[in-house]
Amino acid sequence: MSRVVVVTSGKGGVGKTTTSASFSTGLALKGYKVAVIDFDVGLRNLDLIMGCERRVVYDFVNVVQGEATLQQALIKDKRVDNLYILAASQTRDKDALTQEGVERVIEELKEAGFDYIVCDSPAGIEKGAQLALYFADEALIVTNPEVSSVRDSDRILGILQAKSKRAESGEGPIVEHLVLTRYNPARVETGEMLSVEDVIDLLSVNLLGAIPESEDVLNASNAGSPVIMEEKSQAAQAYKDIVDRFLGEEIEHRFLTAEKKGLFQKLFGK
Amino acid sequence: MNKIIDLKGSILSLTVLKLYSNDIEQTKQALSDKINQAPDFFVGIPVVLEPQVDNLDPTFLALMVEFLHQKQMLPIGIRTQDETLKEHANYAGLAVFGEESQVKKRPQQQESKECAEAPSLKTALVVQNAVRSGQQVYAKDRDLIVLGSVNPGAEVIADGNVHVYGTIRGKVFAGSQGETSARIFAQKLDPELVCIAGLYQLAEDIEPAHKNGFIEVSLRNDQLNFKLLD
Ligand SMILES: Nc1ncnc2c1ncn2[C@@H]1O[C@H](COP(=O)(O)OP(=O)(O)O)[C@@H](O)[C@H]1O
Ligand SMILES: [Mg+2]
Repeated sequence: MSRVVVVTSGKGGVGKTTTSASFSTGLALKGYKVAVIDFDVGLRNLDLIMGCERRVVYDFVNVVQGEATLQQALIKDKRVDNLYILAASQTRDKDALTQEGVERVIEELKEAGFDYIVCDSPAGIEKGAQLALYFADEALIVTNPEVSSVRDSDRILGILQAKSKRAESGEGPIVEHLVLTRYNPARVETGEMLSVEDVIDLLSVNLLGAIPESEDVLNASNAGSPVIMEEKSQAAQAYKDIVDRFLGEEIEHRFLTAEKKGLFQKLFGK
Repeated sequence: MNKIIDLKGSILSLTVLKLYSNDIEQTKQALSDKINQAPDFFVGIPVVLEPQVDNLDPTFLALMVEFLHQKQMLPIGIRTQDETLKEHANYAGLAVFGEESQVKKRPQQQESKECAEAPSLKTALVVQNAVRSGQQVYAKDRDLIVLGSVNPGAEVIADGNVHVYGTIRGKVFAGSQGETSARIFAQKLDPELVCIAGLYQLAEDIEPAHKNGFIEVSLRNDQLNFKLLD
């Protein structure tokens, strides 16, 4: 049975696209058949991070508008089997997506046997974000450990609970998961950032995992490869944990405390 | 052009005072007893008199009006079909309400007579989860119970009391129709605004000591009164 997972946040620039790319890649690496859809029409970001921007012929809007078939628009990932990308259009405006059109595409993906359909939401709480979450069964709430991001996540949680298909049809609520990104334990300790406990207390949502702030993320996206593919990176390990926990494994949380610098590191300032 | 006035049909709900005795002293006493049970409740409420007895003394209505004013209630009219009573009403400065509505309401009145004085029970509105930023919950004519927290940017409003089992970080209004005996209870109160019957206080005016622990907020002498309960 297919599950639709929206990656959403309210606030922009918190790591939704980064998370969508690594999460969908991680699920595909586990053997599931995964489609990841970029709902951020007009910006087109996901295909860059996934490194398939030169292979976009038809996009999500084309399919929604009936100008291309799903098969024509789905881009098969070069690195990982069973992973497909539906890119956003750079040229169209947001109104090009309709609820009926989106529903049809999601139904077709389900019929095509996809296990997971991951929806990378645009920022905001308006129509684009509402469309991305409307058909979701589960949601990854991407939040940075700062007040404005937490506030926006709170808002989007309210919308998930009120304005989704599940809410309206009474099918039972969307399963919510908190993904704390750009987590910097050292700055939490100095009080510059909210702690993981603070954020959970404010949002009352289960923590799926925290992704540490890491320069590997930017390097990976410049290289057009999801950070989860960088074996040695802590961010990659954190994303792998998230995928495992999402699939039901119980794994202890890590990367939540600052690494204690050894005497050697202290002396030599490294 | 800006309008100066506007007259519109209205659906105000008025309190009806039914009179079963033609003894003015007895009636005054009964009313006093009632008011003493909940003094705040009767202040300023508009009242329509509905005599259910014949042979009212010509001065009865005028005395009744004066007494109600003393008790800070606002007698505005009378509901009757009796022609002499209508005349008395005229002298007492009371409006006469038509019989049409009376006819329509008959069945309800009989029903309510049966359950005597007991006000109709309306249980609290219960919210199972957190109330989130951008959301507003209003419990009309009743209490509100929130099992989660009220987050920043959220508003919870009740005409009765507000109970929150989590933390109030947003705005909270109890007694929003003016019920001054309404209270607020919270596991923890760190709100953007707290308001009872129109009297409010902002976050910065609340003492830090009151922001930690189970708390009750009530109205005392037109001031919000914070009391830690544990
Ligand atoms: N864990 C992280 N560590 C460091 N930088 C990150 C991390 N996650 C995301 N970023 C950076 O934050 C920026 C916004 O990320 P993106 O995924 O595009 O956010 P969104 O889709 O929510 O707008 C990008 O420059 C990205 O490289
Ligand atoms: Mg994005």
